[in-house]
Amino acid sequence: MLALEGLEVRYATRQGEARAVDRVSLALAEGECLGLVGESGCGKSTIARAVMGILPPNGRIAAGRIRFRGQDLATLDPERSRELRGRRMALVPQSAMNAFDPVYTVRAQLDEAILAHGAMAAPARAERIAALFARVGLEIARLDDYPHQFSGGMRQRAMIAMAMALDPDLIVADEPTTGLDVVVQDQILQHIRSLHREQRKTMLLITHDMAVVAENCDRIAVMYGGRAVETGDRAVFERPLHPYTLGLCNAFPDLDDGGRALISIPGAPPDLVTPPAGCRFAPRCPFAENHCSEAEPALLEVEPGRHAACHRLDRIEEFRRRARDPDTWQTERKS
Amino acid sequence: MGGFRRYLLRRLAQAGFVVWCILTIMFLLFKLMPGDPTAIFVDNNFTEDMIQRQRMLWGLNDPWWVQYLRYLRNMLLFDFGHPFFQNESVAEIMLDKVRNTCLMIVPALLVSVVFGTLIGAYAGWTRGSVFERAAVATSLVLHSVPSFFVGILALMVFSYQLRWLPPGGMVPLGGPDTLWGMLASPDYWKHLVLPGLVLVSREITGPILLLRSSMLEVKGSDFLDMLRAKGLGEGRIVVHATRNALLPLVTYVAVMTGILFQGQVLLEIIFAWPGLGRELVQALTHLDFPVAQAALYLMALVTLALNLIADLLYGAIDPRVTYE
Amino acid sequence: MTGPRFLDVLGRNPSAAVGLALICGFVALAVAAPLIAPYGPFEVAFGPDRSVPRLAPPSARNWFGTTNQGMDVFSQLVWGSRVALTVGLLSALGSVVVGTLIGLVSGYFGGWIDDVLMRLTDVAFGIPFLPFALVVIAMAEPSLGLVILLVIFFLWRTTARVIRAQTLSLKERPFVWAARAAGAGHWAILFRHIAPNVLPLSFLYVAVGVQTGVMLEAALSFLGFGDPHAQSWGIMLNAAFRAGAMRTAWWWVLPPGVALSLFVMAIFMVGRAYEEILNPRLRAV
Repeated sequence: MLALEGLEVRYATRQGEARAVDRVSLALAEGECLGLVGESGCGKSTIARAVMGILPPNGRIAAGRIRFRGQDLATLDPERSRELRGRRMALVPQSAMNAFDPVYTVRAQLDEAILAHGAMAAPARAERIAALFARVGLEIARLDDYPHQFSGGMRQRAMIAMAMALDPDLIVADEPTTGLDVVVQDQILQHIRSLHREQRKTMLLITHDMAVVAENCDRIAVMYGGRAVETGDRAVFERPLHPYTLGLCNAFPDLDDGGRALISIPGAPPDLVTPPAGCRFAPRCPFAENHCSEAEPALLEVEPGRHAACHRLDRIEEFRRRARDPDTWQTERKS
Repeated sequence: MGGFRRYLLRRLAQAGFVVWCILTIMFLLFKLMPGDPTAIFVDNNFTEDMIQRQRMLWGLNDPWWVQYLRYLRNMLLFDFGHPFFQNESVAEIMLDKVRNTCLMIVPALLVSVVFGTLIGAYAGWTRGSVFERAAVATSLVLHSVPSFFVGILALMVFSYQLRWLPPGGMVPLGGPDTLWGMLASPDYWKHLVLPGLVLVSREITGPILLLRSSMLEVKGSDFLDMLRAKGLGEGRIVVHATRNALLPLVTYVAVMTGILFQGQVLLEIIFAWPGLGRELVQALTHLDFPVAQAALYLMALVTLALNLIADLLYGAIDPRVTYE
Repeated sequence: MTGPRFLDVLGRNPSAAVGLALICGFVALAVAAPLIAPYGPFEVAFGPDRSVPRLAPPSARNWFGTTNQGMDVFSQLVWGSRVALTVGLLSALGSVVVGTLIGLVSGYFGGWIDDVLMRLTDVAFGIPFLPFALVVIAMAEPSLGLVILLVIFFLWRTTARVIRAQTLSLKERPFVWAARAAGAGHWAILFRHIAPNVLPLSFLYVAVGVQTGVMLEAALSFLGFGDPHAQSWGIMLNAAFRAGAMRTAWWWVLPPGVALSLFVMAIFMVGRAYEEILNPRLRAV
């Protein structure tokens, strides 16, 4: 249903062109939920924007295709792509805090989302909006409030309601729980899960929270420095194939093994204007060898349905063992 | 809305206090004036008796506090007395002059705000474009050039050299003198072109610069992405952005109108426009104090009222404003 | 603010560089006025045959022509720069000093002092300036000193509000707490610790002050309420306007108008560049 083929997105910056997404290929079947994980700045939100067709003015799709129901979104003309947005695919944005226009009521903004895609009589729209609001558990009476009168959680629910306004096929949820407190996060995630499980929506769920992905997604793609470094099903977290995934798993509380200490990956994400040669993770990878900084590893199918891009896939068992030891990640790397 | 009522009352009380202070300052000013007001139009033929009678008539022999209270009452009731040299009451003259001043600044303001908003919003939306840079540079120059010199230049070129437009005045003698008569008269519009354009050349820069920068700010906000994501067309998105960017303009326009109302004395003199400012200058040259006093008072009042309106309007158009 | 940074800003703002050059030019003109101006500010430029050259167009003798009283426009223009600079500098310094002091005291002490001072600024903001100045001058004798006082009276209020806001935020900073803990008195804290931090902002209002001061002097003089003994650009414009020179003698009208515009624009551009240095956030916009 949705397929990225060698997608490359670049941003014009003062320092030069940054390759925010670099030759990424992913596929998403009807009714599936794909989780995109990685640190901030790894290109996952850029993918969301590219799919939705809302890249900022300094961003462009430099190469590759985004296939959505047979059309290529990368080359679709702006008007056709506008028609798809909100109707066939909808966004649940990163910061619901600021995603509503502050000077219009919530109702007006939901209304507008419906009207953008063709006429519908006012009573029918009102009914539809009320139903949407009820479905996300918001009081109908609050419809005529302004966004600033809503709490963060309420705004995010209203966002979900707006995304569902025209019953789209694809939902792109870009860090939908950022900035919310933990209890509210859970409620929002439940709503998102129900979109996928009960309403059978295809979903692209973007997050840096491994637990969220593990709980909700059928398939997972791990991104690092604009590249997809590992893809696969839930087994990605159970038996990671890439050292970066190992690091990510260490940085989050384990679902089964609550007592384990959290270990974070030292260092910072790579510079995307002049990315490091070879494997992008090599400068931070505790297992990197000389070869890693020379040639870039390809994303290879390691097991059926599982891909990873690492030169030393052969030593993964050893890596998994050593990754558990905090000292492994402490060693200062020579670059 | 209890919060709003309290806020309104507080602002009104503040404004009332400022009005009182200004009135008092004016009272002292006109009292401190050297010599006797009667001396201005009294000539040698007046007997001491006649002067005394005039002083009595004006209440100049009363104790100062009686004069002060009477003055306050008169000013608050817009009872400005009679001018030294004309027959109409000052209040009637003022009404006329205020109307004339409005006949110059209101059309200029409308043009400035409408076109300034459009130009500024477009400049902000197309940041970095040639249009944006040209608009900003021109605005900065027009903003800093003294507008009365622009007026003089315009007069020299278009009235005296090219003879396209009348050099001054509002309507020829014997022309219409009602508001609607003026608006319907081509003469009025012909006389308005030059001073109007000179005013616009300066006043339009405010909305342009303001809208441009507030548009830039709005452009960085997340909700614009969401508008695109829900499939709105470019036109609707610009409407949203402009609506948000317009918020600071409302305050600005109200304040700007107040400043214009008191500050266009120069243009009225240059273009011989029979407005409030010109009346003030003429009254001062003739030492006709009742008229000068009334003109000054009205200018202060209009400025204060507009500032108050600016504050209240802001609360009305921005739903986020709360009155705590 | 360091020198290189200032040059850097000038490099990116050619208009500010031009403005600075213009200001230097005007200062040179004012300082060297007696050397440059062939005639005094009110001196009749008698011709070789002792005739009075009334409304003579520009010539090698009178570069910018003469007025209806046979005075040399160029000389008046040069002398006018002295008045402009004097008025500009004095009114700017006066208003900034008064405004900064009031802002500092109001913001630092708060309470009833703040209330009183801020109500005072409300009143100052409510007074329509130009008309008020006209009335005051009409009551008294027009003089340059009075004009400067009026400009100060008009300008201190803006500076006071801005400095007050800045002081309010500064007085909560750790270094002020540290000074207080060390036993510094109120005035020591105010002048040794807070004042130095608001001064850069105050300087911005010097530019605003010079610009407004010069403009207002010109406006008052043009309306016939200027000091008749100080040959300013505004006085020149007033004389030319009254003599109907707009119709007959463009050389009398243009020089003072252009000089005034250039001066004011130059100050404005330099002020903007300075503001940019103060507030780097503006640079991105």
